[in-house]
Amino acid sequence: MKKSSVIAIIVIALAIAMIIVMYADSSTYSTFTEAKEKQSELYVVGVLNKEKELLYNPTVDANHFSFYMYDNDSTECRVVFRGAKPQDIERSEQIVLTGKMVGNEFHASKILMKCPSKYNQDEIEVIEANTAQTIGFVDTPID
Amino acid sequence: MDITYVGESLLPGKIGQFFVILSFGTALLSCISYYFAAPHKEDRSWLNIARVAFWINVAAVIGIGSSLFYIIYNHLFEYHYAWAHSSRSLPTHYIISSFWEGQEGSFWLWMFWQGLLGIVLVFRAKSWESPVMAVVMLCQAVLGSMLIGVEIFGERVGSSPFILLREAMNAPIFSDPNYLGMIADGSGLNPTLQNYWMVIHPPALFLGFAAMIVPFAYAVAGLWQRRYKEWIAVGIPWALFAVMVLGAGIIMGSFWAYEALNFGGFWAWDPVENASIIPWLTLIAAVHVMIAYKNSGHSYFTAAFLAMISFVLVIYASFLTRSGVLGETSVHSFTDLGLYWQLVAFNVIFLAIMVYLLVSRKKEMPSSQKEEDIYSREFWLFIGALVLVVACVQIIASTSIPVFNVVFGTKVAPPLDPVQHYNKWQAGFAVVIGLLSAFTQFMKYKRTDVRKFYTAALASLVVAIVVTAVVVYITKVYTNFMYILLVFAAAYTLVANGKILGDAIRGKWKLTGSAVAHIGFGLLLIGGLVAAATNEVISVNSSNYIAVAGFDQVEKPGDNLFLTEGEPTQMGDYRITYVGDSVAPPNVYYKINYEKIDEETGRVTESFQLRPFAQNNPQMGGLVGTPATKHYLTHDVYTLITAAMSEPHQQGQQGGEQTGFEAYDEPATYETNIGDTLRYRNGYIVVEGINRNATVQNIPRKDDDIIVGLKLRVHAATGEQYEAEPVFLIRGGTTFDLFKDVEEQGLRLRFSNIMPQKDKLELMVYQKPLPEKKWVVFKAIKFPYINFFWCGAIVMTIGFFLSIFRRNKEIRKERIKPA
Repeated sequence: MKKSSVIAIIVIALAIAMIIVMYADSSTYSTFTEAKEKQSELYVVGVLNKEKELLYNPTVDANHFSFYMYDNDSTECRVVFRGAKPQDIERSEQIVLTGKMVGNEFHASKILMKCPSKYNQDEIEVIEANTAQTIGFVDTPID
Repeated sequence: MDITYVGESLLPGKIGQFFVILSFGTALLSCISYYFAAPHKEDRSWLNIARVAFWINVAAVIGIGSSLFYIIYNHLFEYHYAWAHSSRSLPTHYIISSFWEGQEGSFWLWMFWQGLLGIVLVFRAKSWESPVMAVVMLCQAVLGSMLIGVEIFGERVGSSPFILLREAMNAPIFSDPNYLGMIADGSGLNPTLQNYWMVIHPPALFLGFAAMIVPFAYAVAGLWQRRYKEWIAVGIPWALFAVMVLGAGIIMGSFWAYEALNFGGFWAWDPVENASIIPWLTLIAAVHVMIAYKNSGHSYFTAAFLAMISFVLVIYASFLTRSGVLGETSVHSFTDLGLYWQLVAFNVIFLAIMVYLLVSRKKEMPSSQKEEDIYSREFWLFIGALVLVVACVQIIASTSIPVFNVVFGTKVAPPLDPVQHYNKWQAGFAVVIGLLSAFTQFMKYKRTDVRKFYTAALASLVVAIVVTAVVVYITKVYTNFMYILLVFAAAYTLVANGKILGDAIRGKWKLTGSAVAHIGFGLLLIGGLVAAATNEVISVNSSNYIAVAGFDQVEKPGDNLFLTEGEPTQMGDYRITYVGDSVAPPNVYYKINYEKIDEETGRVTESFQLRPFAQNNPQMGGLVGTPATKHYLTHDVYTLITAAMSEPHQQGQQGGEQTGFEAYDEPATYETNIGDTLRYRNGYIVVEGINRNATVQNIPRKDDDIIVGLKLRVHAATGEQYEAEPVFLIRGGTTFDLFKDVEEQGLRLRFSNIMPQKDKLELMVYQKPLPEKKWVVFKAIKFPYINFFWCGAIVMTIGFFLSIFRRNKEIRKERIKPA
């Protein structure tokens, strides 16, 4: 057998091994209940609770935004995001959070929103908010 | 009931749709004719048909583009495409970007470039014209089918850019014959795309994608026509061209993301970015193996495979970004236009061609019986190509997780931190590639003088170690072993290829292109690594930081800084001040002054203003921020507004100066004497005395009037002083008082009573509620040495360009030789 063939086989084996290892890095879409059990970083998919207040008061802390979300099991949980409030979260119809449970709060490091698209109900436009990557205009409470 | 609509101009759409059908038909005809022309070299009738069909196809594609441009340029919002992607306020150059914002426009761009490349091939390909063009026109036909937009057997084929708004959507207004009058404006272009890089990045990228078909077509033609050896030499310059253009296109996209997107970086391993870099890497591998085969006769199968798989991966990239399969994993993938299965078919067709040819011709392929020598260039070129392929496999595997989910019905989520996930793998591959592109330069084809090789390789190695030490020290990346290793690999590439470049200047000009391209790669690697590894958020919030219980222990202080208008804040080396904003609709520019202050003298040593802006575009989903960047030779300061005071709120404050007492807070009433000092919010008020001869404007003094003024001096905290004299007046037993305002301080002072029995003067102090100052929340990132990255990219492109020249010259020489 030629050297190059041997190497090719080794490389292919390496590639397959790599793909298997890759799945160790991959994550799962889960729920708040699971997040509480696992205590590790994961994705939680759900919808915003529009009844409750979305708290972002940049005059106090520009890096603190919190809201309530229902996961796919309809469990409600308070979510805290270290960053500016993503624009348009009120309009979102689905939210994908990245983060982990700390106590009874879910600390999100990333918020991904699906908003109804501008012109067609069938089409979906995706907006991502990484820690402070989108802009939100915020009403400060007037006192 | 049919409605006769008012004001629609249907002609441009009809013409456009005609061209769409024409382009599809002629592409198909041309493809078939070229297919039959290929084996019949003597009979030119097939070839003639093919050429005529090709030229009509080019004309039709240009016709589609012109019709569509006419529609967008004239704001014909009866067409869905114009309505969805443009608006009246859009400047002309952005009308060009709105042209390819949609999938249909970008498919057109691809067809257009493919047509132009076809023209070059028709004139230059000579004996290769028929088989190569058959493949190109097949692709042109498939792309053309994407734009047809007609229903066949109940299935919609393609998505036409000429579909009318009322056909595309179901809305009650379309029952009104005059609906056009109600559509004031289009939805407009996504603000992030309103950037000059968006005018030029998509054409470059799609020229790269389109050019990828040429090496594919040459490989197919070579195997199909059994001209096994010939296609490699003619394919190399085309492969280099595709690599150069696609590389430039990707880097432009990266620069656009850095300049205009709020990614906070130049590469985010987003699926869309990955999709374009995968074929680029495989084609680079292909170029190397093709050159190795040309010089040594080894690795034929690998060369053919890589040249072909690269284009298949381009199609796979289109599938990923256009089919909607990425779903929530990507920020900027297109949504499904109903082309899902058509895109799958596109993939399958070209994959099938590749597999069929590779399998059926496997036995006939030229192969070298002799084994490669370890000390030979071709051996290491082959290894390098394999490493690139493995790197690609990793990117493809991770990017394709959503595809696997669809295929296997699983619900696996992509890695939580994609950047970290990809970097972990790709850093290792980059090190190997860096080292290979360094020492392989000292190898010769077939057989290398081992002693000479070690002398040269080790000499460069020593220099590279020194360079690494210096770079690592200056850029401060010594914290991580992998970083050091990467810098070393890149430095070795730089040094080794620098030496080759030196030789090239002294006469071995042939090597210039390769040396320059590899130097560019080395620079790009160092720049990318340093910028990515050592970029720091400098807007770390420390002063304005209020602890939230149970939260701060786990998280680092936030990346966003809160700035109030006019209040300077120290941020790292800079004193920053938000000095206000200016509105240039639809954008709001936030002016942020940066000042560097010498600690000893207190002088401002450097100052500049950054104006990151945000666009309020409710149709596109609220506000979209665009960063502003200050470029230095050694680093960049990048600033992005992440939140700002809402506009209606601001207007409420500015509009309508209220003069009534309702504009003030509850007053404080003081019983004072001369000499007293009273505090107010921004300073203090001194009661200086009484003016018994006070006069009041417009009120003539009567004899029995008592008019007393209270002399007050207002000392503001900022040092200014104001005088005010509110007046107390008794006329005919009735008391009045006349207030005085100190507007600068938001004060209203009333001398409201004189109390002789108490020997007190009553003073009422009204204060306006503190005007809420404008504020912004922003984030600033420092990117050190990022210029190496851009510079490396440019150098690499130049290197590819030089190589194209060299390889073209070689073909010409070979053509002359046998004659």
